[in-house]
Amino acid sequence: MKLASLKLASYFSRASLRTKLALVALVLLALPWAGYEYVREMERFLLEGEEQALLATARAVATALHDRPGLMRARPSRDDDLLREAEEELRRLAAERGEAQPEPGAEPAPIIDREEAAAKNETEEIGEILRAVERSTARIWVVTRELRVLALAGSLRREEGGAEETLAQRVLGLLIPRPSEDFDDAIDDDALAAGREISGALQGRPGFRLRNTPDGKAVVISAAHPIWNGDEVAGAVVVEESTNPILSVRSQALERLLVLTLAAFAVAAAVLIWFATRISTRIRQLRDEAETAIDGRGRLAHLVTAQDAGDEIGDLSRSFSAMLAKLSQHHAYLESLASRLSHELRTPIAVVRSSLENLKPAPADARVYIDRAEEGLKRLGTILTRMSEATRLEQGLASFERERFDLAAVVSGCVEGYRLAYPHQAFDLALPQKKSWVQGSPDLAAQLLDKFVANAVDFAAAGRRGEPVRISLSVANGMIELGVENKGPPLPEEMRGKLFESMVSVRGERRGEGTSAEPHLGLGLYIARLIAEFHGGDIHARNLASGEGVAVSATFRSA
Amino acid sequence: MPRRIAIVEDDAAIRANYADALRKHGYEVSAHAARGEAMGAFRTRLPDLAVIDIGLGEEPDGGFTLCRELRALAPSLPILFLTARDSDFDAVSGLRLGADDYLTKDVSLPHLLARISALFRRIDALREPKAAEEVLERGALRLDAKRFAASWKGRPVGLTLTEFWMVHTLAKFPGHVKDREGLMRDANLVVDEGTITSHVKRIRRKFAAVDPAFEQIDTVYGMGYRWKA
Repeated sequence: MKLASLKLASYFSRASLRTKLALVALVLLALPWAGYEYVREMERFLLEGEEQALLATARAVATALHDRPGLMRARPSRDDDLLREAEEELRRLAAERGEAQPEPGAEPAPIIDREEAAAKNETEEIGEILRAVERSTARIWVVTRELRVLALAGSLRREEGGAEETLAQRVLGLLIPRPSEDFDDAIDDDALAAGREISGALQGRPGFRLRNTPDGKAVVISAAHPIWNGDEVAGAVVVEESTNPILSVRSQALERLLVLTLAAFAVAAAVLIWFATRISTRIRQLRDEAETAIDGRGRLAHLVTAQDAGDEIGDLSRSFSAMLAKLSQHHAYLESLASRLSHELRTPIAVVRSSLENLKPAPADARVYIDRAEEGLKRLGTILTRMSEATRLEQGLASFERERFDLAAVVSGCVEGYRLAYPHQAFDLALPQKKSWVQGSPDLAAQLLDKFVANAVDFAAAGRRGEPVRISLSVANGMIELGVENKGPPLPEEMRGKLFESMVSVRGERRGEGTSAEPHLGLGLYIARLIAEFHGGDIHARNLASGEGVAVSATFRSA
Repeated sequence: MPRRIAIVEDDAAIRANYADALRKHGYEVSAHAARGEAMGAFRTRLPDLAVIDIGLGEEPDGGFTLCRELRALAPSLPILFLTARDSDFDAVSGLRLGADDYLTKDVSLPHLLARISALFRRIDALREPKAAEEVLERGALRLDAKRFAASWKGRPVGLTLTEFWMVHTLAKFPGHVKDREGLMRDANLVVDEGTITSHVKRIRRKFAAVDPAFEQIDTVYGMGYRWKA
């Protein structure tokens, strides 16, 4: 059980924001339940009101019949009792078979009119009184103490509305049953004999009760009020009404509630889903942007998603931006650290150098150490120059003048130079037939090739000696590609993408076998990349297909 | 009478070292640590040459200000910047303010002494116009190694000492490629190759200002520069 709930919780925490909001929206389903409870409350309230109204009617009729012993004294002959009962039975059977209503409710007439000729007048008078207070859906009758019905008016049934039901109404009707007008409205003998309200009224207490119709299809409220003749009860007025009007109000209310809540639920769900989609889209955008905020060169971008929004996502975006800005500052600090360090170290180095030089007229045994110290200083100076080289180039690129030059001429000139500079290394050069015009700076292009070749010669020396370094220039798709290949140890896989970033070097662990005494700070290929980008191109490094060496290449936009 | 050199440098150790070295070579040295103090001393008595650092204590550009004030005080006094700053921007700013040369602190003492004596020679040569000339002529170019004066097609080109030496080295053997290291050695410069490139650029620009058709300095990529024969 606990495991299951944990599983559920972990599933929930993994679900998308939209799914979560949709699940949360299910809480809205409590609304129809609350509405249903409210309707039930209303129904109860209406029933109470109905009871009071019926009781008031009964009281009113009873008031008209108070202290009129003449009216209540009328007695039908005993012989007729059997006949009356037979007739009642027939009527009930007819109703059960669903035949036409024996008593049309529209014209309230006394059902029972089997009085003696002498009593006829009184009965009619009671009928008159009853008709005066008649209500369309109420049935009023007067009973004597002997539970004999003296007069009766009205019907329990309502007139059926003739309107055709629409399909929607019929579907709703299946969900919410409507009260049926097709019920047995016969007066049970039980109702007379066992009715609490009638026996109570005959004992002088007005009262009411709810009872089912004999067929159980409807509920009837009946209220009874005693008729006083002096101090004694002469009979009772019973007013009955079916609860159908209330029930139909209730079912209408339920129908409307169902339709309204369904509509509201649909609208709310749509709005919530739209809202959730929008929020998750914005968050996803923010995430995507945050992921790409640091580009391949380690430059930091500013976030634009939701930066002006006043909500939490805007806050998040702004704090991301603030964080990136801090990171950017730190980054800039690190980038400038090299040049600042080299600048700051120049002064102490100058102190050491000038001190050593002042020592120059020294005894021979001290000279050795002075020379060594100067050698160390020289190397330190080279390191410092290298350190600031990249920064100076970065700053200088913006103001560099561009000119149109033939890259092939620069490359062939440089290669001549390399053959002199690296006498132990062979160079292969492949140039295109045509001139390779490039817009940019020939000095920078030569600097780029210097970096490539210095690396290639280094690694070729670390690998197999005697293999030539291949330098090639080729033109394709408006770009000129300058490639340098060397045999030697391949690039470590994880360094592939980082090679051209600042301060990244693959030499580190190979330091021992390297032949070069030059310090390496991992800035060479970074500078090469800056130069390639200055010329509208890019830079790539890959291992040779044979796996026996490395090829680096830079592209230049052809001009 | 020994020549008097003023050193304005905020770092006490460097100041003392340079002062000692210069004194050993027979110069009289007055050393100052701050701009105000130096300017006060200059108003009382002008030195024969001033070596100035750019960053002076609290003032990052104090040397530039001092150079401007000193130039206003003594239009022909040789001024030499000796600084840790190696950016092109600083070098150009310094030279524009009227300094005669711009050296970074990488420079060795012998180089510095060579520069200083060269500047004094230039001053002396200017003072005695009749003195014998050490002239190098290559076509329209005329270099006076005594005065450190250069002219192109008869019109003077205002080169700094460094630039003069570079042109001199290139023009001495026209047609020969001089690599960057050789240029550095001959011009008594200790800078990286990028700085050589910008020096050459500046030289070309100065000649082009006199003669827009100037194309005498040739870049041989991967090797260096040469003076067209």
